[in-house]
Amino acid sequence: MLESLDQKRLIFVTGKGGVGKSTCTAALALALAKRGRRVLVVETDAYSAMSVILGAPESEHTIIDVGHGLHAINLRSAQSLVETLTRYLPSERVVKAITQNRVTHSFFDSAPSVSEFVLLDKIMSLLDDKDNHWDHIVVDLPASGHAVTFLSVPKTLNGMMKGVGPIAKRAQDVDAMIASTTRAAIVAICLPEEMPVNETIELSANLKKTLGRGLDLTLVNMVHDRPVDEDAEDDFERASMRLRIRTNPTGVLADSSVAAPLRVLAGNQLSLKWFKRDQIYLGLLRKNLKCEIVELPMVYKIKERDIVDELASHLNTDPDPASLAS
Amino acid sequence: MSRFNTMVKTARLIVCAGPGGVGKTTTSAAIGLRAAQAGRKVIVLTIDPAKRLANSLGLDALTNEPQRIDLTEDESGELWAMMLDQQQTLDDLVARYAPDKGALSRSKENNIYRLLSSALAGMQEYMALDKLHDLYTGGYFDLVVLDTPPTKNALDFLQTPGRARQFFDDRVMKWFIPSKTAKKGLFTRVFDPGSVVLGLLGKVFGETFVTDLVDFFDTLSFLQDALRTRGEMIDFILRDPQTRFVLITSADSRRIKEALFFHEKLKSLDQHAEAFVLNRVIPRFDQEDLDLSTIEALGALLEDDNVEGLPESLRANYARLTKLSEHNRGIIDNLARQVGSDRLFTIPMFGEDVHDLGTLEMLGRHLTE
Repeated sequence: MLESLDQKRLIFVTGKGGVGKSTCTAALALALAKRGRRVLVVETDAYSAMSVILGAPESEHTIIDVGHGLHAINLRSAQSLVETLTRYLPSERVVKAITQNRVTHSFFDSAPSVSEFVLLDKIMSLLDDKDNHWDHIVVDLPASGHAVTFLSVPKTLNGMMKGVGPIAKRAQDVDAMIASTTRAAIVAICLPEEMPVNETIELSANLKKTLGRGLDLTLVNMVHDRPVDEDAEDDFERASMRLRIRTNPTGVLADSSVAAPLRVLAGNQLSLKWFKRDQIYLGLLRKNLKCEIVELPMVYKIKERDIVDELASHLNTDPDPASLAS
Repeated sequence: MSRFNTMVKTARLIVCAGPGGVGKTTTSAAIGLRAAQAGRKVIVLTIDPAKRLANSLGLDALTNEPQRIDLTEDESGELWAMMLDQQQTLDDLVARYAPDKGALSRSKENNIYRLLSSALAGMQEYMALDKLHDLYTGGYFDLVVLDTPPTKNALDFLQTPGRARQFFDDRVMKWFIPSKTAKKGLFTRVFDPGSVVLGLLGKVFGETFVTDLVDFFDTLSFLQDALRTRGEMIDFILRDPQTRFVLITSADSRRIKEALFFHEKLKSLDQHAEAFVLNRVIPRFDQEDLDLSTIEALGALLEDDNVEGLPESLRANYARLTKLSEHNRGIIDNLARQVGSDRLFTIPMFGEDVHDLGTLEMLGRHLTE
C-alpha cells in the first residue's frame, strides 16, 4: 500500500475534525519510517497530539526523535514569523523592531494569511535542510474546511503582492511545490460517515478548482468489519427479526432485564448495522473520488500507541490480491 | 426533574460547545426540538449541518434567514433553524454600518476584505456571535440554541469578541490610517512612526499589499465602533445567568480533556457547564453476558436459522465489543467523579444516521428523560 506516496517528499494530511486525523497521521508516518525512511512529522497546532500519541516529550519548535527513524516537530507561527522575517529583512534590528512592537505584533496575530505563510516557509526550509535530509515530511494540516485556504495562501499572497518583492518570490516557489504532483502529496483522512465523506468529496473538488490538483490518497478510518459471515447473514437477520431485535438493538441493550443471549444478538445486530452503514459510505467515496482509497480497520485496542502501531503495520501489508482483482 | 429539563425550560441561550466530529450540530438540534416540545419558541443557529440532518429539519437550501420547522404535532412551541453564512453575515454587517454607498462598494472591492471572511482566524466564531446578538436581542425567540464552530483552541471562541475588536483596535488603526490632519512634510514622514512600520512591511510584503492594507483599514474604519459595542454586548450576553453552556464530547480521553479545558475557561465568564453530553457512547456490552450457557442458549434461540459456527462468531464479535464498551464506561465513570454524575448525560451510538425528526426526538429524550 501507499504507492501513491512513495516518491513524495512533502505529504500534507488533512481531514474533518474528529475523524482521527492525528492518529492516522502518526500511523502513516510510522509506516513510512518502518520502511527505512527518515520521516519528520510536522504539527502546527497549539497542542501537540503527536507527543501524546507517540509518547514523545513535548517540545515547541524543536525536532524530537521518536524512534524507528521517525521525528516530530510542533511548529509555532510566532517563532516561524521571526525566522521568516530574519530571512528576508536586511538587519536583525529591523526584525526586532517589527516582532517586538506591540502594534505590529497584534497585527501579525490577527492578519489573514501571515501565520499560514510563515509556517509553509518554515516547512520549505526544512525540506531544503542539507544537514538533515528528510525522505518525507508529513504535515498534519488544519481540518479540511481550512486546508484549501491554508494551501492556497502562497498563491493568494503572491497575487496580493502582484509578484513583487522577496516574499512574493518565495510564495511562488512554495505554491509551485504544493501544486507539484510529483513532489507533494495531499492525503485526506475520512470516516465512513455522512459529514466526513461529503467533506472529503468537496475537498477533492475544491483542491482541483483552487490548486489545480486533486487528492493522492484517502484513508478511511475505523471501518467496522463484518460481524457474521456473508453466508450466515440472512439467517442471522431472520432470527433477529423473529426476536424483534432488528429494529431497536440499542433499546434491547439498554434494558438490563433482557437475557444474556438476546443481548449478544442485539450487540451483533448493532455491529451489522455499523458494518452496512460503513459500506454505503465507502461506496459513495469510491464513486466520487479518483485517488487511491485505503480502509483502516476498527482497532479493538485501548492505548493510542497500540492503535497507531496496528494501523501502521496494516498500512505496510501487501494489499489483498482479491481486493486488487475487484 | 433533570438539570437538562430545567435548562431547556428556563434558559434564554444555550451555547453548545466542544471538539469537532462529536455530533454537536445534531445534539444542538435535538435540544432545540425538546425545548420546542416543551412549548417554547426556539431557534437553533447552526454552522454546518449534515445534509441529512438539514433535510430532516426541512432546510435544503443554505440561507442566512430563520426558517420555521414543521413539527406536525399539535405543539404550542415553535422550532426554527438557520445556518450561518459567514460571508453574508459580514456583508450584512458592513452594509448596515457603512456610512455611504461608496464605502460599501469600496469595502467589497478590497482584496483583503474579500479574503477576510474565510481567512481571518476566528472570523467564523465572530460571525456566529454577531448573528447570535441579532437573534437574542430581536425579542421574538424565548430561547436561542447556538451550535458553535469546532475550535482548535477552546480559548478562541470565548476570546472572539475581543479578538475582532483587537483587529480594528485604535492603536493598530492609527498606524495604518494616515492622519488626515497631519501636514505631509518631510518632517512628519520621517518622524511618523506609522510610516516607519508601513515602510518595513512594504519591504517584506511588497508595496501593493501594504497599500491594500491601508486602504482596507481606512475603508472599514466605520466598523470599529460597531464591533466594539456589539462585542461588549455579546460579552454581556455570554455572562448572563440565563445563558447556559452545554459541553458536547465523546467517550474519548483526548476529547474529554478538550471539553474539560473549555469548562475551565468558562470561569473567565463566571460561567460553568450546566451539562456534559457524551455522544456516540458504545452501548453496554457486558463480559458477564458471555459464558458457555449463553452459547448454548444462542444456538437454541436461533432455532432453524442456526448455521454451523454462527453462535461462536456472534460470541467472538460480542467479546471484542465488550472491550470498547468497558473502556467507554471507565472514561464516563472517571468524568462523573470529576464533574458530578447529575451533570453527565450519555447518548448511545445508534445503528443509523439521524435523518428525521423522530430519530432526533429519540436522541433528545436521552437528555431530558
